[in-house]
Amino acid sequence: MKRILPILLGATLGLLATTSAFAIERGGAMTFARYDDSTVIDPVYADRNPDLWMVNGLYETLLRNGPDGSIVPGLAEAHEVSADGKTITLALRGGLKFSDGSDLTGADVVFSLDRARNADLGPWAGLLGAVDKVAADGNRITVSLKNPDPTIISILATFNTGIMPKAAFEKAAGATDQEKARAFFSAGPVTSGPFVMKSHVQGSSMSFERNPNYWRQGEDGKPLPYLDRVEFLVIPDDATRILKLQAGEVDAAEFIPFARVGELGADPNLKMELFPSTRIVYAPINTREAKKDGSKNPLADIKVRQALNYATDKNVLIKLVTFDTGKPMTSLMSAATQLHYGPEALYPYDPEKAKQLLSEAGLSGGFEVKLTTLAGSADDATLFTALQQMWAPLGVNLKVEQVDNPTRGEKNRSGDFDIHTYGWANDVNDPAQVTGWLGYYKQRQAVGTGWNNQEFNTLFEASNVETDPAKRKDEYKRMQEIYAAEAPLLFLFETPFAVAVSKSIEGYVQTPLGANDFSEAWRAD
Amino acid sequence: MPSLSYLVARLLQIIPTFLLVMIFIFLLVRLLPGDPAIAMAEAKATDAQLEQIRHNLGLDQPLPMQFLVFVKNTLTGDLGRSIMLKAPVTEVILSRLPTTIFLALYAIVLAVFLAGPLAFLAASRVNTPVDVAIRSVFQVGLSMPVFYIGLLLLTVLAAQLRWFPVGGYGKTFLANLYHLILPALSVALYTSAIILRNLRASLIEVLDADYVQFARAKGLSPRIIMTRHVLRNALVSTVTLLGLSIGNLMSGTLVTETVFAIPGVGRLMLEAIFARDYPLIQGLTLTFAVLVSVVFLLTDVVQSWLDPRLRQS
Repeated sequence: MKRILPILLGATLGLLATTSAFAIERGGAMTFARYDDSTVIDPVYADRNPDLWMVNGLYETLLRNGPDGSIVPGLAEAHEVSADGKTITLALRGGLKFSDGSDLTGADVVFSLDRARNADLGPWAGLLGAVDKVAADGNRITVSLKNPDPTIISILATFNTGIMPKAAFEKAAGATDQEKARAFFSAGPVTSGPFVMKSHVQGSSMSFERNPNYWRQGEDGKPLPYLDRVEFLVIPDDATRILKLQAGEVDAAEFIPFARVGELGADPNLKMELFPSTRIVYAPINTREAKKDGSKNPLADIKVRQALNYATDKNVLIKLVTFDTGKPMTSLMSAATQLHYGPEALYPYDPEKAKQLLSEAGLSGGFEVKLTTLAGSADDATLFTALQQMWAPLGVNLKVEQVDNPTRGEKNRSGDFDIHTYGWANDVNDPAQVTGWLGYYKQRQAVGTGWNNQEFNTLFEASNVETDPAKRKDEYKRMQEIYAAEAPLLFLFETPFAVAVSKSIEGYVQTPLGANDFSEAWRAD
Repeated sequence: MPSLSYLVARLLQIIPTFLLVMIFIFLLVRLLPGDPAIAMAEAKATDAQLEQIRHNLGLDQPLPMQFLVFVKNTLTGDLGRSIMLKAPVTEVILSRLPTTIFLALYAIVLAVFLAGPLAFLAASRVNTPVDVAIRSVFQVGLSMPVFYIGLLLLTVLAAQLRWFPVGGYGKTFLANLYHLILPALSVALYTSAIILRNLRASLIEVLDADYVQFARAKGLSPRIIMTRHVLRNALVSTVTLLGLSIGNLMSGTLVTETVFAIPGVGRLMLEAIFARDYPLIQGLTLTFAVLVSVVFLLTDVVQSWLDPRLRQS
């Protein structure tokens, strides 16, 4: 008996393991409630999050972002970078097909990459700025660069390099690429990703159906995706989107306000998913010597910026605004970004140090600062009230100015602000995008702050052509140290992507870059 | 019925109205801080890319040139391309307009059927508990914001009792009657409260008028007094009010369509403003101007039918 028991146990466990591996059920549909609709899900023209976060559902890239953030094979089963870093060779898988059954060949790859890097077309062409030529010889793809570009591998896994069908696209009606894209997408486009788009009623609903020719295998050894259909409903109002989910009319609802996370997590029918993200909430500080109106800007002094950061209790903000779902920033970029360096939370709450820094800056008498926030945003309103109270003991008189989104953008671009709220999520699985945006003066005056640090700029330029990964890592470490010390931002917090999902749905993922991934989702009921 | 020349004169009055609307909206949207390029590339474009986008959209042209292009295109029925939706404005509006018109008409019908009979009841029992009860209930409707009424209806009748779907709209006429009842109701409550107050007051006034007393003294049946004398006179101001409430109704749909996830022109207008989508904002404003003008015209026609005195002026 003593011997049989372990054997029985082992057998049972083995059986359990096998059943769990094959427990995935195929077929069925899931309904997903979105906060906003897509317009054109073209890899090249997608310019808003509701567009670009859907591209991967329809178009597969040569390489893919793995679940742990590493780059894994996609349509290309292997890739190699030459020693000088100027040639990338990729081997396309054999037998690849588009959703209409036509072969996916090197010609389609050349067509798609040439289209993606055409600056006259979409807003993302700059990501492929280093590419000189793309050529195909059978299944062998060669991407030649003008100069080494360490980001190129990540770009080949980014939505804008999704592979489109050359023949079907060129057959679409229209004289220009824009017209062709519109005709191609409104007709229900031929795709290379896990799904095809069956219908789309602008502003209301969209329907994805399984692409039977998708290349990736599921856990049961048959091609993905598991679901037959994904239906999308556009429900812009947060409260209504949640009601729809609670009423059981949809299987998932995205962008759950953090204030509702606790309540939905307690609902026995729902799972409250907090997907790790690259999203950061921060506030650019105007670092110019003079304000827009010509008056002297106290925030130009690094000590004042540091003082405000020390005077900000991030943990309280995280509690008040994100209901404890967020975490403090440890660097200019989120901890989920490649080459992130940040051993600890930036500027832990220290009002004494803040006071000392302000007196060193000669501002112990206090001064006035204006915080520009988004009108109608409950988060921003909370943020303002909390900051006003935290900073008042230092003599900082915080005023608020509420504006709408484009107005805030305009103020940022023209330098007409003291401090304003902002958010960011990476689109590329590489730190260069966020670092260039937040810190590199020549790109956007360091997110509009006017912060112009020579050492940082030089490091950034060097890192963009650095072929040695170890050296690039060092450059990034140094850049993040400089940025943290110089504090051109009020560092606030990182937040997850909050999606509430019915317990009958498994495997849906929103990636750290925001993409909605339904390829491995399945219905458990 | 009003004469043909009256109708023609009213129609001609619409032309300067439209011209003014076009000038105003053209200038107003450009006075807003931020522009479509900034809204479009919200964060991620460089300044050089923004200039390129502005150039592609023709926003780097001088204002008078842009206005001429706008007027010329509008006269030929071309409202331009929506920047946000990357599709012709006319096409976008035409696909969304029927839903909003359906919702507005539905709301008006509900409002009239709610307010009409109750106004009669209240007016015939002035200052009794019935009258007070009716007025208090509608006072609540008047003082609650539309989105709040909408959310209340959604939470109770849709999410909890499951009598109606939570938002969205149907594909057929009947399905829409069912789908849109809650949004129509939340818009109607406000309008019906206004109608009720006005109709009740005019009814009380008219019921007390000399000609009604005289009609009673003549021995006319209460029914004839009601239809021929009371109703006809009490309705004149109510019809005006109903016509004017089209503005309320339109702003009501703006909010209601967002809360109830209805893809109509109201929600589209909000999205267009946040995207600084100049062509779409202009197209929608013109559409609203046409709608309002048509409603005002209809109001005038109905009024001059109800009250012959108005035809002379």
